[in-house]
Amino acid sequence: MSDIQLSHIDHAYGGQTVLRDFTHTFAGGKITCILGPSGCGKTTVLRLIAGLEAPGNGSIVVNDERVTENGKILVPAYKRRTGFIFQDLALWPHFTVYQNVAFGLNEHHAKNVGQKVKDMLDLFNLSNEQKKYPHQLSGGQKQMVAIARSLVLRPQALLMDEPLANIDIQVKSRILEHLLSIHQADPFTIIYVTHDHKEALDIGNSIVVMNQGNIIASGNSEEIIHSQHIFLKSFIKT
Amino acid sequence: MKTYCLVILTFFSIITSCKPTAEEVVVYNSVDQVFSEPVLKDFERETGVKVKAVYDTEETKSTGVMNRLIAEKDNAQCDVFWSGDPLRNNILISRGITAPYQSEETALIPAYFKDKENQWIGFSARARVLIYNKRLIQKDDLPKSLLDLIKPAYKGKFTIANPLFGTTTFQIASLFAILGDSRAREWMQDIKANGVIIATSNGDVKKRVMQGEIAFGLTDTDDAFEAEKESDDVAYIFLDQQNSGMGTLIMPNALSLIKNSPNSENGKKLIDYLLSKETEAKLAVSSAQMPLIRGTPLPTNVPSLDAIKPMKIDYNETSKVLEEIQPWLKQWAEQ
Amino acid sequence: MGRAINKYVIHNLLTLVLLLLLLVPVLMVLVQWLLNAGKINAISFLDRGALLLIVNSLLLSATVALLATLIGTACGFFLYKTHLKGRRLYLLLLIVPILISPYIFAVAWKDLLFLLFGSTASAFSTAGVIAVHTLIYFPLALLITGNALTNISSSLEEAGLMVTSFRKMIFKIVLPLIRPAFMSSFLLILVFSLGDFSVPAFFGIKTFTVEIFTQFSAFYNYDAAITKSLLLVGVCLILLLSEARYLSGAAFFSISTRGSNSKIYEMSGIGYVHHTSFAILIILSMLMPVFILLYQSLSGREIVIDSAWKLLKPAVFQSIKLAFWGALLISIIGLYAGYWQERLKSPFTNVLLLILFILPSTILGIAFIRFYNQPETGFIYSSLFIVLLGYIGKYGFIASRITGNGIRQIPVSLEEAAEVSGVRPVNKFIKILLPLLSPSLFVSFVLTFVLCLGELGTTIMVYPPGTELMPVKIFTISANAPQALTSSMALISLLITFFFIILFFMAGRVMFKKNSDE
Repeated sequence: MSDIQLSHIDHAYGGQTVLRDFTHTFAGGKITCILGPSGCGKTTVLRLIAGLEAPGNGSIVVNDERVTENGKILVPAYKRRTGFIFQDLALWPHFTVYQNVAFGLNEHHAKNVGQKVKDMLDLFNLSNEQKKYPHQLSGGQKQMVAIARSLVLRPQALLMDEPLANIDIQVKSRILEHLLSIHQADPFTIIYVTHDHKEALDIGNSIVVMNQGNIIASGNSEEIIHSQHIFLKSFIKT
Repeated sequence: MKTYCLVILTFFSIITSCKPTAEEVVVYNSVDQVFSEPVLKDFERETGVKVKAVYDTEETKSTGVMNRLIAEKDNAQCDVFWSGDPLRNNILISRGITAPYQSEETALIPAYFKDKENQWIGFSARARVLIYNKRLIQKDDLPKSLLDLIKPAYKGKFTIANPLFGTTTFQIASLFAILGDSRAREWMQDIKANGVIIATSNGDVKKRVMQGEIAFGLTDTDDAFEAEKESDDVAYIFLDQQNSGMGTLIMPNALSLIKNSPNSENGKKLIDYLLSKETEAKLAVSSAQMPLIRGTPLPTNVPSLDAIKPMKIDYNETSKVLEEIQPWLKQWAEQ
Repeated sequence: MGRAINKYVIHNLLTLVLLLLLLVPVLMVLVQWLLNAGKINAISFLDRGALLLIVNSLLLSATVALLATLIGTACGFFLYKTHLKGRRLYLLLLIVPILISPYIFAVAWKDLLFLLFGSTASAFSTAGVIAVHTLIYFPLALLITGNALTNISSSLEEAGLMVTSFRKMIFKIVLPLIRPAFMSSFLLILVFSLGDFSVPAFFGIKTFTVEIFTQFSAFYNYDAAITKSLLLVGVCLILLLSEARYLSGAAFFSISTRGSNSKIYEMSGIGYVHHTSFAILIILSMLMPVFILLYQSLSGREIVIDSAWKLLKPAVFQSIKLAFWGALLISIIGLYAGYWQERLKSPFTNVLLLILFILPSTILGIAFIRFYNQPETGFIYSSLFIVLLGYIGKYGFIASRITGNGIRQIPVSLEEAAEVSGVRPVNKFIKILLPLLSPSLFVSFVLTFVLCLGELGTTIMVYPPGTELMPVKIFTISANAPQALTSSMALISLLITFFFIILFFMAGRVMFKKNSDE
């Protein structure tokens, strides 16, 4: 499982700098949490890795391949073998659960699509819901579909943008447990963006703390908890 | 709340600004507005009677005024119907919408140009002519008669307006009246076979000939007169003027008083006003219409009725013929 | 109990008024027709030929609707979803064809063909009608689909981009998502195209509407005309209601009230292809007709723009005044109908407006004359009210859909939040809904203003004697006037309409800029 490397990334939206000389290597096969207050640029990092945007400057390497260079996208999003869980999940409202999960497989001309989708739906206990449309699902089920939709493509990396922000604690922990057990059985890289430090400390093999477009600390949970950085101390306390 | 009242009040005052005045006359008009409006304004100025007009035009099929008059039958709003030809008046007569009217002025008009019971009274007439583009055809090469249109030499070179509408209907109906049903139908089929181009209206005929798109076409004197003003390439001739010829169709304007109209006295006043040498002289100048009252002064470029050989038809008979042949004409046009 | 009934009556007062003023006249024509039906043997008008004709007309209009919607959608994508340079200017220019009356547009195109090729035969064909209708109506599709495109949440597109290429994502994600807008654009243009007789009549193509018109104007045969109109209305209603599911979900002329999170694409490299395509489209749909009008107004023996203006002047101000009040009334009625449809789930007013919308203009005119030309209602018939009623009948539905869609985009939770905070219903409406809805109301006002300013079909049937209105005057004077005068008048009317569009556009920017700063 290879690392994801971001080197000297600068990025701005309409003249407003979001990332400044951002450099970090996300370890392959591990769960990294990006932690930080809203507006710190953590979602942007995910979007750049996914290929939804081209950085202003710097380079990104995914799966040992240079995917962006000098502000140009070299490998488009759908060829990077990354999955993305959007904050609003972005389930296609005109597709059923089955179609939502199968869509990517069909696009990649995969074999045994039916079996793969069935396995994945079984794994997430969604078999009974496969003919339903997104609006007919509960909040937790929607989360599951979104994750299943990404994992069915067996991505090298799963990028998650606060996917569990608006969900009740019990459902949330059940989904997380599920995800972690899948990850344990067959490790892949997870980059998990959150503003909730408890969640980050809980699940992250390593944690990157961001503020105002920069990394202010990184390490495992022990190191983060004991960090003496002023911002970090106040952020974790609140 | 005050503001709401104010808004509503303003609204009403703006919308209902046309208050009824005692002295007014309502005229529905299917004659071209450019020519009729100045005459009506003169009447207003000279008599002090306010003219409220609804304009429409035979070129664009008179749908507005005719359907209005028919729909308003039970509660007439209109006093006078001023039509460009008597056919439409005859349709109204058959539906019992008009009233007879006789006066000193109506007596000035020759009997030939009036309904027997004075349900319509004609004045200032137009005639059907052939309009041609001098760049495309020489005067000597032109047909001399409507019946010549079937000659191979003219194949695809001439246009008439849709015979379902306007004065073209009138011309075709008169042809049926003169030639008889079977000969006229044959002629229609023959001109179709000879590649006649069907234009939307007389105006369209005029325009296409003027532009040089088509060599010649049939239209009315007023269109031809306008075309000559607009372009040096255009001229017109009267057809069937030989000694043995059947003559060309003369189409008087026609006025009808509407039955149970709200201001019938003023309506009569307007009819009398229009049936005068003065009005006929004005229309002669503005749209080359030929006066029916003897002794009306004429501009040099407008022919006198005496100089044209007219087609001898009975206008009311022709109207009847028209109603009979219309379904067939529709088929003919749609073929 | 009494109070409840009272309340019900008050709530439905406007619906009742509309029913009485607009639908009852139409129903009376229907009743009269039914009473006559035995005598005239109405079914005899619906022979094989008539049915074949309606199928042909439907095919023609469906082709127009499909082409216009496809072109409009493509334009909508580039103008609303990319950073294409000059897209605002393109948008403004591409809307112009809606402002030109179909008849003038057809004449201009025929003259242009003649000027360029010396032959106009190609225009006098079904293809000619399709081409002209497509060019006139695609801006509607552009507005409808363009706005739907901006309302797609960007993450839906991005989730697609994660698994497939851009092109496939557009076809499999974006297009299905805007299907309601696509459908409503298609059906709206279908109805417009079916309802227009001026272009097919000019090009000598027989359509069902031309046939109805002929029955009215050459034969004065009401029964045949009404029978055939009923068939047309029936077909339109079936089409519209069968797609009601889509129509009610459609982003019909929506404009987004909040900062949209629509995905905007960079157009790199092949920009010139797009610019060339837009340039061609603008030349075809706007520059050529305007050029020909200008050419004709200047190529007469003398310059007649001055006399054209003198002729139009008294009609212009009357028309603007009337269009203003018409648009205001229609927007209020649209708000009412839209609110009932979206929030109170009562579609009655909306359906009423829909029926009037698809009714041929001439029928609406005849119905109004028969109903209002009575001693008791003469005060309406002899005033400009009758013209306003015609406007409402023709365009109320459009306003209702624009506003209704605007309401749909406002989360109910915003109103509910006001309710739980103890805000009175009236204030909830005035202080929450109306401000949020103001952009939609504004669009509804502007669009109906422009439409009223050009309405001819019903107006010419009912306008009070002695009134001068711009479209009527242009229409009646054009008939025999020199080409230069006709073209000048058409040009003046186009300029006036365009002037108001720009004026409203600027007013809108000022108004809504202030709102978003707050």
